[in-house]
Amino acid sequence: MTLSPMARDRISAFWMLLPTFLLLFAFYLYPTLYNLELSFTDITLLQLRQGGKNVGFANYVEFLQSSSFLDIAINTVFWLTFVSVSMMLILGLLMALLLNSQFLRRIRMTTVARLILLVPWATPPVVAVIAWRWLFDPKHGAINEFLMWTGLISDPITFLADLATVWPAINTIIIWNSTPLVAVALLAALQTIPEEQIEAAEIDGATRWQQFRFVVLPYLMPTLSILGLMSVIWTFNNFVYVWLATGAGPGTYTNVLATEIYMRAFIDMRIGYSSAIGVVMAVVMAIFGSLYFRFFGLMNMQEKLG
Amino acid sequence: MSINVQKRGLAGLIENGGLALAFALFIIFLLAPAFFVFKGSVENISISLVASGGGLTLDNYAGLIRDGYFRYVFNSLYICIAATSLACLISLFAAYGLSRFRFPGRGFVFGAIMGGQFFPWIILVNPLFIFFARAGLINSHLGLILCYTAFITPFTIYLLVGYLTTIPKSLDEAALVDGASRIQVIFLVILPVMWPGLVAAATFGFLQSWSEYLLALALITENELKTIPLGLSQYFGDVQINWGAVMAGSVVATVPTLLLFLPLQKKLVAGLTAGAVK
Repeated sequence: MTLSPMARDRISAFWMLLPTFLLLFAFYLYPTLYNLELSFTDITLLQLRQGGKNVGFANYVEFLQSSSFLDIAINTVFWLTFVSVSMMLILGLLMALLLNSQFLRRIRMTTVARLILLVPWATPPVVAVIAWRWLFDPKHGAINEFLMWTGLISDPITFLADLATVWPAINTIIIWNSTPLVAVALLAALQTIPEEQIEAAEIDGATRWQQFRFVVLPYLMPTLSILGLMSVIWTFNNFVYVWLATGAGPGTYTNVLATEIYMRAFIDMRIGYSSAIGVVMAVVMAIFGSLYFRFFGLMNMQEKLG
Repeated sequence: MSINVQKRGLAGLIENGGLALAFALFIIFLLAPAFFVFKGSVENISISLVASGGGLTLDNYAGLIRDGYFRYVFNSLYICIAATSLACLISLFAAYGLSRFRFPGRGFVFGAIMGGQFFPWIILVNPLFIFFARAGLINSHLGLILCYTAFITPFTIYLLVGYLTTIPKSLDEAALVDGASRIQVIFLVILPVMWPGLVAAATFGFLQSWSEYLLALALITENELKTIPLGLSQYFGDVQINWGAVMAGSVVATVPTLLLFLPLQKKLVAGLTAGAVK
């Protein structure tokens, strides 16, 4: 029996995608479902083999009613995600405009500026945190040294232990590490804008702001929206910056969902409870994800696959 | 008339001054952290100020060798290279299948792979820890290699699909007519022309796994088996931070990524925002 070419193609495609399916199943789908199952049990690290008892929604109720829930939610949504991402987009846009400016071209610094952007971008997050902890250090740190030299302060500030400065300090680390990607992507988008369009607007008497608002910005919108959503997802789920910068401290002042999951599971050993927090987090992200795919994903995918 | 020109001259001066200031701030903000880390790594940051004579020293780097830091470097290199190779091999087949064949559910499969890029790994830590504990894969490099392979594969597939669509299908068809099998087509026809795409995907995968911290933290506890991010972060564990060692270790961790990033950056951006920039 000979197979039709179409059926043969389907079989080939299946074999070629099989390793990917296995990987997606074993490391994404099945663990996600298993995490859901764990979230309804009281399993702890000490009795992994026996498993836990079914406790229904007790973990969810406990987490959503706990006194720390509101603080963690505000920290994650506002401080960690909103402040970092909005600053990343604003600074990234300003950097892209600077890199695209006539001024940098005139002083022949465009390539140098691009290379400078690479430095924070290529820095692993762990090293980024180390670098800034070093700058923020009250004893040896360059920032305190500079501020004392200018006479603005007389005693060093412990940036990562002081409640007034700890979130802006964490935001600074994230922004430093993540803005270059935003800037380079926006620069690429800026360079697709035809010069004539801006010239035409100028001849029509548009001010610099109007040129930006009505000619440049519409061109940047697709890139900006995708970058915004990607950054929201990556920052919201991020564990390493907060954990290594402050360990969720001082106390639990900078605790976010990701650090809460880790601490409940690996310090309190309450895997079941921690998994329930993970499910809450996944639900919030699923809403973001579906928005992403609704607005940009399908359009993107169709273009990509042709 | 002349007043107008003068005004424009003054405005231009202010504008150029503003841009120059912005550029200076840009340089300071982006480079200062890296500069001070490098400076700290070649200085003697000793506790007693009297003992330190100042000047440059390689003591911190020598200290890294004594501490066994290069064990972490070796572990990271080995794990990341293994995971990247495996991910590239899997992605090559997947990307070929996705770009060359029409089959039901193709859009869904591609969507699932895209979604994988945004998957919150923090949620997978608990279930993976339990699987690995039951399978005896805690403190195992094999476990970490498999995790990293799964971690980087969605994006490498995405990059390779993008690259493969630029290679005309007529190339495959000519070889198929000549009697080549699909496997032969992939390795003898497609692979030679898609090297640049594969190199970009591999570099990306390597960088991703090189800086991964969370999974390593959960799955590796034995000092001998730790990767660079873990090894570096444990210098913070003590009450007293050994700043000299941390700085030198940070430089060692970052130089490879910086060198790999140089040729790659444009491709990465194109891959990340493909379709949007049009």
